[in-house]
Amino acid sequence: MKGYVALVALLVMAVGFVGAAVAADPELPLVLEKSRWQPDVIKVKAGVPFVLVITNKDKGPEELDMLTPRIEKVIPAGKTVRLKMPALKPGKYPFVGEYHSETAKATIVAE
Amino acid sequence: MGATFIITLREAFEAALILGIIYTYLEKVGARDGVRYLTRGGVLGLLASVGMGIAVSYLSGPLLDVGPDLITIAVVFAAVALLTWHAWWMRQHARLIRGQVQNRIDEARTSNRLWVVGLIAFTAVFREGAETVLFLWGIMAQAGGGGWGSVVGGVAGIGCAAALGWAIFRGGRRLSLQHFFPVTTVFIMLLAAGLLSSGIARLQGIGLLPLSDPLWNTSWLLSDGSIAGGFLSGLVGYRSQPTLLEACAYVVYVVVVGLLLFARRTPVTVGLASASRS
Repeated sequence: MKGYVALVALLVMAVGFVGAAVAADPELPLVLEKSRWQPDVIKVKAGVPFVLVITNKDKGPEELDMLTPRIEKVIPAGKTVRLKMPALKPGKYPFVGEYHSETAKATIVAE
Repeated sequence: MGATFIITLREAFEAALILGIIYTYLEKVGARDGVRYLTRGGVLGLLASVGMGIAVSYLSGPLLDVGPDLITIAVVFAAVALLTWHAWWMRQHARLIRGQVQNRIDEARTSNRLWVVGLIAFTAVFREGAETVLFLWGIMAQAGGGGWGSVVGGVAGIGCAAALGWAIFRGGRRLSLQHFFPVTTVFIMLLAAGLLSSGIARLQGIGLLPLSDPLWNTSWLLSDGSIAGGFLSGLVGYRSQPTLLEACAYVVYVVVVGLLLFARRTPVTVGLASASRS
């Protein structure tokens, strides 16, 4: 029972936190077209959380898949998803579209 | 075709593993009712996956932005709790059986708790299910000209995972009870530890937990995307680039739950246990 209470509390916190954060952070567009990300290099400021506004222009869904930090986000066909990203240390953060990992490759560069 | 085969095989592998182990377990302890619960849970998980796949395709706005993530994270932690509980339960049975009260498994207590087995099946299938449904749906939508190989590959991947689960069931039945319980308890424990650390990683990914650099990087040796990497990830929670928190969660879980499961003995058996382990 305690577990459930904790879980619900955590979820409520998560909704509040994500909601508050999404409102303020800088937004960067990212488009998936013909199974490729555009742009394929995204420059962001290190240490500042941001929001990727991802639009999938393809006919099928895609999943943005990043290993570190671990992010998996499905973007249904024809939809736009706002993905809140945590503050990143300076460095390169590659990611792929899991469903087309040979072509849909891109990197976030935090500097 | 090969790529979609690998993706669906990887997504379905963990569910097949969990279901295979628990079906075998239920058969071994003669809990026929449990089998029904398990199947129902699995089917409900499948239906929920399709429902979620449809919902995600039609949702938009904030619901689509954070909804699926929160559901996924909640399911991951629920699965950790349920699997831990199940491992505990299996250990209790193992003790009963070792104490030669094999036929005296408390029916009432057993049936009282069987719905939890259904929940485990539900979380196991639902966790990666919605994603797999969306994926298959997507490749079917794109399949128009000559893409049917991908669809066949995707379905074959799920079929292959199911066959693996079945193989575990067949193989597990042949194992003696004495071996079956400790082996599967360790399996489930490592699986849950891997799930826990992946849940922590997801919380870091949405910024709820602080992020840190990867402790190490073994992707040159075994990438998370390969078949072997995918299997190891499902089995023992392999990550090529774990963060400190992920690794800590894993180690703490294994140590604490491992102690709870394996170190608690009655005074009489303490000597026996340590002697047989050395």
